[in-house]
Amino acid sequence: MLTVEDLKTYFHTRAGIVRAVDGISFEVKAGETLGLVGESGSGKSVSGYSLLGLIPTPPGKIESGTALFGGVDLLKCTASELQSIRGKRIGMIFQDPMTCLNPFVTIGQQLMEPLFIHEKISVSNARIAALEALREVGILDGDRRMAQYPHEFSGGMRQRIMIAIALILKPELLIADEPTTALDVTMQAQILDLIRRLQRERGMAVIFVTHDLGIVAGLADEVMVMYAGKIVERARTRELFYAARHPYTRGLLASIPSNHSGGDLYNIPGLPPDLGKPLAGCAFGPRCSNKKDVCGMGQPTIKAVAPLHYSSCVRIQEGSL
Amino acid sequence: MQAQAKALLQQIKPTRAPRYDEDHGTSLWADAWLKLSRNRLALLGLLTITFMTVVAILTPWLAPYSYDAQDLNLGALPPSGAHWLGTDTLGRDLLTRIMYGGRVSLMVGFLATAVSLIIGVLWGTIAGYFGGRIDALMMRTVDVLYALPFMIFVILLMVVFGRNLVLLFLAIGAVEWLTMARIVRGQVTGLMKMEFIEAAISMGIPRSRIILRHLIPNVLGPVIVYTTLTIPQVMLLEAFLSFLGLGVQPPMSSWGLLMSTGVESMEEFPWLMIFPGLVLALTLFSLNFLGDGLRDALDPKSAKE
Amino acid sequence: MKPENLLELQDVRTHFPLTKGTLFPRLTGHVKAVDGVTLDLKRGEVLGLVGESGCGKSTLGRTIIKLIRATSGQISLSHEAQGGVQMIFQDPYSSLNPRMTVFDTLAEPMLVNGFATRATVAVKVAELMHTVGLAPRFMRKYPHEFSGGQRQRIAIARALALKPRILIADEPVSALDVSIQAQILNLLASLRKRLGLSIIFISHDLSVIRHLSDRVAVMYLGKIVELGSTAEIFAKPQHPYTRALLSAIPLPDPDLERNRERVILAGDAPSPINPPSGCAFHPRCAYATFQCSQRQPVLARQGTSETRVACINL
Repeated sequence: MLTVEDLKTYFHTRAGIVRAVDGISFEVKAGETLGLVGESGSGKSVSGYSLLGLIPTPPGKIESGTALFGGVDLLKCTASELQSIRGKRIGMIFQDPMTCLNPFVTIGQQLMEPLFIHEKISVSNARIAALEALREVGILDGDRRMAQYPHEFSGGMRQRIMIAIALILKPELLIADEPTTALDVTMQAQILDLIRRLQRERGMAVIFVTHDLGIVAGLADEVMVMYAGKIVERARTRELFYAARHPYTRGLLASIPSNHSGGDLYNIPGLPPDLGKPLAGCAFGPRCSNKKDVCGMGQPTIKAVAPLHYSSCVRIQEGSL
Repeated sequence: MQAQAKALLQQIKPTRAPRYDEDHGTSLWADAWLKLSRNRLALLGLLTITFMTVVAILTPWLAPYSYDAQDLNLGALPPSGAHWLGTDTLGRDLLTRIMYGGRVSLMVGFLATAVSLIIGVLWGTIAGYFGGRIDALMMRTVDVLYALPFMIFVILLMVVFGRNLVLLFLAIGAVEWLTMARIVRGQVTGLMKMEFIEAAISMGIPRSRIILRHLIPNVLGPVIVYTTLTIPQVMLLEAFLSFLGLGVQPPMSSWGLLMSTGVESMEEFPWLMIFPGLVLALTLFSLNFLGDGLRDALDPKSAKE
Repeated sequence: MKPENLLELQDVRTHFPLTKGTLFPRLTGHVKAVDGVTLDLKRGEVLGLVGESGCGKSTLGRTIIKLIRATSGQISLSHEAQGGVQMIFQDPYSSLNPRMTVFDTLAEPMLVNGFATRATVAVKVAELMHTVGLAPRFMRKYPHEFSGGQRQRIAIARALALKPRILIADEPVSALDVSIQAQILNLLASLRKRLGLSIIFISHDLSVIRHLSDRVAVMYLGKIVELGSTAEIFAKPQHPYTRALLSAIPLPDPDLERNRERVILAGDAPSPINPPSGCAFHPRCAYATFQCSQRQPVLARQGTSETRVACINL
């Protein structure tokens, strides 16, 4: 339902060009959840923002690529075309709901706003729809709650409200950017459970952007791992966790404490590269324990290494690892 | 959405990998100087201010005439070879009077600002460091003083004690420290929540050292910026007081005084107002550019390199 | 004081007064951040202190290092641990003074407390940096020139400057990326062995706690609800809150993650200003009875297990 080809988003800063997203391609299948995993600065959030035209320009610029969504190229849409797709056909939720909710407007009005913008609807019908949306995210006393302001809700409740707003027009695709990172684990469990349930009930597709491999393990059908602006590995979830085919993914999985009891944790040495500088060869090369000469030669491209399993590691592609 | 975009920009700012090639770090101050030196307007402002200060200091030796040397036969003359900027109605050389006036104006600007700086930084740091009831008491005092019509207070002071330059510094400084105190107090309150202050306290670092080594250096940035913006304010205040006839006494001059007398004869002898006005405007612009430049340079969030 | 203990807490309470009005404040209540904690830290052990935000775990840490004064209760240090409790803070971006070089940051506490003289301090700073895996030649650099992980190493070096026997690590890895997190956890584990440190490791992340700790204390609303060996608590959690917490951590293993039994708690944690009567957890507990809202449970051993649990239904 969404096919992204060769998306490049660069930021033109005083220090030079930062290749935040550097040529990524993927597709999202209807009704599936795609997990987009990476550490900070890997470009995972910028990818999601690029699709919705939310990149601050300047300094950001989408350099190339297409993103076909139901026959429309999102990257070529005008601002007003995007406006009509955003919210209506693609919903988005963010890490910090407080910055997305207007502190001076009641929750009820913020819930009904997308309805008034995208649909011709009477106030009383909008109210019924808003109440229903709140009920769906587990807020039962909607009548009272709709008259309240964002600060009267806890962090978890605000995230529920954000989800209700994002989903009130029943979009086909939801982009969730670290929606539980700011929450406690028990609240995170509630929100993940909610997203899982709503997705099942509506047959909605979800792109779930996170740094937490644990969340992806439980939620995603397919997982993409990003490193330094590129997708380094993409596979069905079980396949990725049990038969990872990129040294970075393997290192990431090995550095999680719970995959390990006692002794030292595996750790990936060094730091991610500076995206403002051009890279010679594989971006992960300098930190990779399996580096060979071939890794320094040219930018690796992602290729199928098994059915439905793609990796950008040259050595794995050759079969020497 | 705006906020999201901002947060995103913060995230993607170029990662600063440690520079292993050089073992000596660049402090934030050195960084700031680097950024300032790339800002042409700010640099130009700094140069202008430095030039004016040097001229003001050397005026007794540089000035072509004496500031009170009258030549009533001359009267007001337009600029000429002998009097580059012309003469005033009493036949005094305008260039000389502007140079001497600069001494007073710059001195009022710098000294009154220094007074406000000292009171403001101390007041704000103490309020912010101790917090609680001390903070409340000190800041409510500031609020009350803010509410008083200070111009009237200054004018009364001038009327009662007579026109006295020292008093002028004190009076203006006493008006200007309030904002400084608020700025510093806000900064210190924010810093007190930082973990490095908690770390210092928990490691037994004495209070005086925490204030001097940990708090003050970190509030200095905004303080310096606000200082460069206070100086022009103070100079305008002096000009205003002189305009009202409450500032500097003739035959001494200040830029404000020169302008106010210039205005009286603006139609006949326009140069008497234009030249002092230009010099004052140039100074104010320079200080403002410098202040803006410093604000950008000292903001750690603005792009480095 | 038991001979194997370095630190004992006896019924420690840290309450913050809530006031209205600034100039003439009126007391309107108390935030009971820490509300009766009894705990001990044994020589050489890592004690994990786990709980969600607002449960009082950070306040407890700051109370132990006397950054915050306890309202009541006893905090006693054994003779060998006198004067030796230091803290590693959560955010390596706010825990280092941006205007001080690494050298100044590390030298200051040693000079002020007489652990070094002007002549010896440079050597000692270099030693400290070496201990935490930083090259001493970077000692003239400023914090903003280091990455998050390296800053956390500097913060650890500073905590070690006064040769503490006890370290309190307040969420030291939660601001870091997974791969960097592993580096810091390994460093803490090795420091503990090399220097014989005892560590109170505060975290909301159970998988991190499990990796590093010998014993775990689970906190909820200012109280410890379960305390026992890491192995036992993770294998057989007894308190309903511990069970919910354990089942809420996402496991990076799709088969396990999808087939496990989940306990999803309803609602938010209540406010520590007006904690619920009886057991503070009862409004969210699936097993709560009327008795739970009436009686305050005490931390007690259940059956043969060494673990102590505060629940009346066990």
